Amino acid sequence: MASFITAKLRAAAGGIVAVGLTLGALSAPALAQDPRVVPAERYVPGIWIDPDGCEHWAMDDGAEGFMGPRRLRDGRPVCHRSEICGIVPTDTLFATDRYDISAAGRERLRQFFGQANAFGFLIYGHTDSRASDEYNITLSNNRARSVAQVAQGLGARVVDVRGFGERQPKASNSTAAGMQTNRRVEIYCLR
Amino acid sequence: MTVLKSFAILGLLGSAAACAPIGPDKSVDRGINAHDLSTMVAGIWVDPDGCDHWIIDDGVEGYMSERLTPDGLPVCSGVAQPNVVVGPFKSGSPIPDLL
Repeated sequence: MASFITAKLRAAAGGIVAVGLTLGALSAPALAQDPRVVPAERYVPGIWIDPDGCEHWAMDDGAEGFMGPRRLRDGRPVCHRSEICGIVPTDTLFATDRYDISAAGRERLRQFFGQANAFGFLIYGHTDSRASDEYNITLSNNRARSVAQVAQGLGARVVDVRGFGERQPKASNSTAAGMQTNRRVEIYCLR
Repeated sequence: MTVLKSFAILGLLGSAAACAPIGPDKSVDRGINAHDLSTMVAGIWVDPDGCDHWIIDDGVEGYMSERLTPDGLPVCSGVAQPNVVVGPFKSGSPIPDLL
């Protein structure tokens, strides 16, 4: 019974708020009279791009400054990673379904990490869409770790290593060329 | 010291007076040292948990925002000890930091 009344009251209150909002939009006096109508102000931000290439909302309100990262709905930041330092096509490092790197592959990676002039590295593995999602996560993770081991062997700082499997394709998996593009290890340099 | 203080107060007054009627567009720093916010120079502040934040001292305003991986997780690079700030984060503004 009590909960029934609460529900009724809540519905009624909702109705009043809705009416208040409508009135507020129509006339200023209604806005001033109804304490439940919150006054709003337009705050249009600018965009500041950090040294990693990612966007942040920035607002200067006179003597105050406000800032926060711009993100997609899934939590990833909006970035222009033009300075992503290296995309290694995994076909040149690994045999199919393997994650051990050949001696020649190691040497090329050593050269890359030696010349990158970075403070640290983020290393992410990706696959095409053949085999299961779970298998591909494991494979890409192992491949990213293999690359990270080469970096760490040189004393480089690896800040993050992960495998995204087939979840972040760069090209369509419907063609052989697209799948080849998707088989990759991406290296981000932190400077 | 008093000279410095009065300079600081003058600076604050100047920027406050110049900025009194700011419109909805908050993307520009007005008044003394006017510039677009996209030109600001950041450093990195390492939080007590060891993770990186971009930090900017833009004269009268201060800004801070998270450094993120492509996946949206915090970057904890070890660029400095916790509670330490590194980089040219005060270099974007000629207004002296008096306090």
